[in-house]
This record gives sequence, structure tokens and C-alpha cells, in this order.
Amino acid sequence: MKQLIKMVFAIALVAASTSVLALGDIEAGKDKSTACAACHGVYGVSASAMFPTLAGQHADYMIQALKAYKTGKRNNPIMQGSVAGLSDEDMVNLAAYFASQTGLKTLKK
Amino acid sequence: MKRLLAGVLVLGMAFSVTANAAGDAALGAIKGQTCLGCHGVKNYNNAYPTYHVPKLAGQHAGYLVAAMKAYKVGARTHATMYGNVVDLSEQDMQDIAAYFEQDGK
Repeated sequence: MKQLIKMVFAIALVAASTSVLALGDIEAGKDKSTACAACHGVYGVSASAMFPTLAGQHADYMIQALKAYKTGKRNNPIMQGSVAGLSDEDMVNLAAYFASQTGLKTLKK
Repeated sequence: MKRLLAGVLVLGMAFSVTANAAGDAALGAIKGQTCLGCHGVKNYNNAYPTYHVPKLAGQHAGYLVAAMKAYKVGARTHATMYGNVVDLSEQDMQDIAAYFEQDGK
């Protein structure tokens, strides 16, 4: 019985920590986002048509885009330089921050 | 007088550039019908790898055109997106982008 309780506890702990990691830390992302703000806007609403608005975008889409810029699968010199120093955790946090802002929507049918 | 003429000419050129850059949202709504199959479904997922297809309503038209061009030339690789943009002209892209930009407002 004791072992069962221990096991349940361990599983719950792992599940909780992974889900936090996957969701990202909005506050940590906000702190990290100052460099992004120059082009993408403080809240992720960009003032220039050259740079995408990120506010409200799906977090997992932004994570895969950031990773693609890092590996060069998406070829963009500005973004490649900007993401070079980001860890996977930074990317998850940044994505969580921009996803939490109000902006983009799904197209209406 | 010559200078004024030159000035008017330059101004005229500037206007033609903006007219071209603006795109026709009404035409874009027709040309962009196919896009809605993925981008018009809330929380729709890309497959392999799995992630949500991006929200595009309210996105800057200029950026959307740049993204479409990047898929067309291969600077961004995505088989489905390549297939969908490969036959689009510059004007098609401008029109579709104008439609997406105003859809979020």
C-alpha cells in the first residue's frame, strides 16, 4: 500500500512538472521578451508590416517556429541571430507570454 | 516647373506602389477559400509534427506575403504550404493577405 501511494505521488509529481514546462512560465517569458519587443512590440502587437504580430498566436506554433529558426530550417538571418542564445525552456516561456496576449484570431469561415 | 513635374511623378509612383501593396480583400476572400480548410478551423492541428496551425486573422499583410513567398522559394519548408502557394502570383498573395489582415478587425 505504501509503495502504491509512493508511486501515485511520483507519477503525479512528474505529470505536474511536465505540464508546467509545456505550458511555460508567462512571467519568465515576459522578462525574456524585451529583445523581441523592438520588432514584435511590447505585447506582441507589431507596429510594422515587416514583422509578425505574435499576440494571441498558438504557443506550440511559435515554439516550432523558434526551433526552425535556430536550426536554419526557416531561413531568416534576423531571427536566427535572435534565437541563437535561447534554450528550449526560454522558447516555451516566450511562447507562453505572447500566446497569453490579445491579438491574432482564427480566420472566420 | 521641371522640379514640380518630377515631384508629381515621384508622388504618382508612390501611390501606385501603395495601391499594388494594398491588395484587394474582397478578391482575397475568394482566392483564399482553400486556406480556411486549415486556418479557418479553431485549434486545428498540423500533423507530423503536431502543433496548432497559426492564427492569421489580424496578421500584417506585408508579413503574410513575405511568409507565402518564403514557402514558395523554399526558405521555409512545409510541403502543404508549398503546394498551396506555388501557383499564386504576387497579386494573389497581396489579395489573400489583405483579406486575412482585415478579418481580425
